[in-house]
Amino acid sequence: MELLDRYLYAVRSGLPKGQQDDIIAEMGEDIRSEIEDLETGLGRPVNETEVVEILKERGHPAKVASHYLPQQYLIGPALFPIYQLVLKIVVLVVLLPVFLFVVAPIAIATVAHPTQALIKTLWDLAMSAVFTVGVVTVVFAIMERYPVKFQGFDNWDPRRLPRIPKSTTESRGTLRATAVFELAASLIAATLFVAWFRTTFDLGGIRITLAPVWRSIYWPSLLVILSGVPKGWVSLIWPERRRLRFGFRVAINAATLILVAVLLNAGTWVDLTGPGFPAGGLVEAANWTNFGIKISLIITAVIAAADAIPEGLRLFRKKTSWNYSTAT
Amino acid sequence: MNAELFENLRLELRRGCLILAVLAELRTEHYGYALRKALADRGMAIDENTLYPLLRRLETQGLLVSEWREEDKRNKRFYRLSSDGEIILKQLLDEWNSINSSVSRIIEGEPITEELSI
Repeated sequence: MELLDRYLYAVRSGLPKGQQDDIIAEMGEDIRSEIEDLETGLGRPVNETEVVEILKERGHPAKVASHYLPQQYLIGPALFPIYQLVLKIVVLVVLLPVFLFVVAPIAIATVAHPTQALIKTLWDLAMSAVFTVGVVTVVFAIMERYPVKFQGFDNWDPRRLPRIPKSTTESRGTLRATAVFELAASLIAATLFVAWFRTTFDLGGIRITLAPVWRSIYWPSLLVILSGVPKGWVSLIWPERRRLRFGFRVAINAATLILVAVLLNAGTWVDLTGPGFPAGGLVEAANWTNFGIKISLIITAVIAAADAIPEGLRLFRKKTSWNYSTAT
Repeated sequence: MNAELFENLRLELRRGCLILAVLAELRTEHYGYALRKALADRGMAIDENTLYPLLRRLETQGLLVSEWREEDKRNKRFYRLSSDGEIILKQLLDEWNSINSSVSRIIEGEPITEELSI
């Protein structure tokens, strides 16, 4: 019975402290009874192969011991939905916007190498996300182990539930009209961009010279403007592929944010010159123009990010075929 | 996929029934292995890795009592229903009969005459 003793010894190490002797004594008795039954049936003592079969039938010692453990999960099913919600809020609503609107623009605009700054910011974002997820997980694991009664599930009133949005899905007609508008707007904007783009403009005797950074983002900008064409086309051809549309929109907004970051990094966007105008006045006018451009760029970044975040959330939301309006 | 789904649903269905079967069988005193055999003989085979943790849980809940005793020169742990266990078993059997007859009516498409609440 050396095999049996070794098996029981292996099971014992995985059992809860304080119950080991009791469980092992009972388990040993159960296995011996089974062996005894088998021997009675066979009319001879069991051999090693038969004992091995019996023990293998029982399962791996670690698996057998796990049946006696009080808790098998870190965060149980009751707390898990709240844990998921908290993670989404912390990462997508707090961490991501703070990095997009505050940390990244400051980092990119204040260093000499924006690409390095962007990579470092993304790395910091990833590390912060890992740290935050870790802290939230530990807090919920503690809550699971030492449960505090959550009053929210008992003291609630159906009348305080949020109202259902008037329209949760776009109608096919609205979608088609939007797609056609997007297509047309994109083509018109691209045509105007190509036709009017100059590095210098003359306005009332003043020459406005664009900074070299505008030239460097010419082709990427044109691509972003033209991206409305495939997006509109996709909406027209595959109106049911909502995730693809959301993905397109997130990608366009992300590209816009990168272009704005590159522009913000330049610091100066126009220069004004004009014979016959006082130099001090031109410098002041250029400063104000640059300030206006800076504000416009920041507003553009905020709009792009504000549009990208809900679209991104929709992208990761679970697919559902249920629709309230069709169910009522 | 269907076999796996069926297995999951079968286990879910069996879980509650096993408790009822174990409590009912322990109206007569048994040690673990004998209980397992008695249940198997009546068509309710139960894996030892399920049975023993279940017995410990039911004992912790006060529904069973156990004692170590020598039989055939071997120490065995004998279980039987406690007085609280008898009360709970009676309530569970009433519930079981009620569910059973309701489900039978539902399956046979008969009108429901009494409310089923779970």
